[in-house]
Amino acid sequence: MIDIDADNLKHGVLGLVIALVEIIRDALRIQAFKRMEGGSLREEEVERLGEALMDLDTAIEQIKEEQGVTQSVQSVREGLDNVVDEVLNTMINPERQREKANEKQVVEV
Amino acid sequence: MLDDNRQEVFVAEKAKAESISGGRYLYCVADSGERVDLGKIGLEGKEVYTIPFVDLCAVVHNCPSEPYRSDDNETVKRWVINHEKVMEAAWERFGTVLPLGFDTIIKGEEDISPDENIRKWLEGDYANLKERIDKIRGKAEYGVQVFWDPKFVGDEIARTNEEIKNLNQEIKSKTKGTAYMLKQKLENLLKREMEKKADLCFKDFYARIKKCVDKARVERTRKMDEKKQMLMNLSCLVDKEKSKEAEGFSVRFTGPWPPYSFVAFG
Repeated sequence: MIDIDADNLKHGVLGLVIALVEIIRDALRIQAFKRMEGGSLREEEVERLGEALMDLDTAIEQIKEEQGVTQSVQSVREGLDNVVDEVLNTMINPERQREKANEKQVVEV
Repeated sequence: MLDDNRQEVFVAEKAKAESISGGRYLYCVADSGERVDLGKIGLEGKEVYTIPFVDLCAVVHNCPSEPYRSDDNETVKRWVINHEKVMEAAWERFGTVLPLGFDTIIKGEEDISPDENIRKWLEGDYANLKERIDKIRGKAEYGVQVFWDPKFVGDEIARTNEEIKNLNQEIKSKTKGTAYMLKQKLENLLKREMEKKADLCFKDFYARIKKCVDKARVERTRKMDEKKQMLMNLSCLVDKEKSKEAEGFSVRFTGPWPPYSFVAFG
């Protein structure tokens, strides 16, 4: 049973939200990087982009620290990583997944 | 006391009923034609013994003809661990076993006792069982896991890779924002180089290990902590073990186990 009170609900939701913000930030970073590599940015644009992303990083770290959700955020991201892993593994190696599912069934009885 | 006596009688009756009409919980098939008692090491303290056929035997205990079920995870865990322990006891006693999955039970039928059924099964599948046991006799399963320290390897790559060295130099001379962007480029490069190295190491180790073992099966790697990253997870069938060490890497062997991963059972 999970004990839900106002406090850890806020924690959980905040953790989720920040995790998503981080993921979006990662996507932005990748896009910015592609633009830079593609040569479509002028030097001062690269500078401004870099600074903006740096500020974003700092802001995110600050919020995590102030709200005490650093661990929460990490857990959410690890959980999401595992889900993606499972899906990919099922696609790449369906035979192995079936074996594992059967094993699980026997033990879970 | 009256209650104790009744309890005893109940247990005795149950045992008798099971021996005639219940099921046989199957642990494994062993490389021996002996009829032996292994003691009360089975699930829920049941007496484990063998039912032989020629030079093979089934390692069993008497049970009701239904599978073991429980809603309590701790109980199931206890049973599974018990199952493993009996398997290992059989392996130690008989040298070679074909393990069966947890909760494999053979029942009797209308006019066939469960013991007879087991003998029939051993007889019917004899050639196949014998062949499999011959294949794994004297072998054990070893788990081989190779780890590396990502920081150590990363540093080494940063030191030796030309492109990365140049990039590092360039970053020093740039302004904040641009330096940040270039650091992204650096991280991507480093990641790619590490993946290339991991691939090379995997192929190298795998080839070397393959030479020392009978069979190797690639298993999934697990996430460890930041200091240790699992590069390779193999199940190997071997007669002996060999290991080599390189700086920044560590290897973990587990085993010997009875060769679970190499015995597929329907």
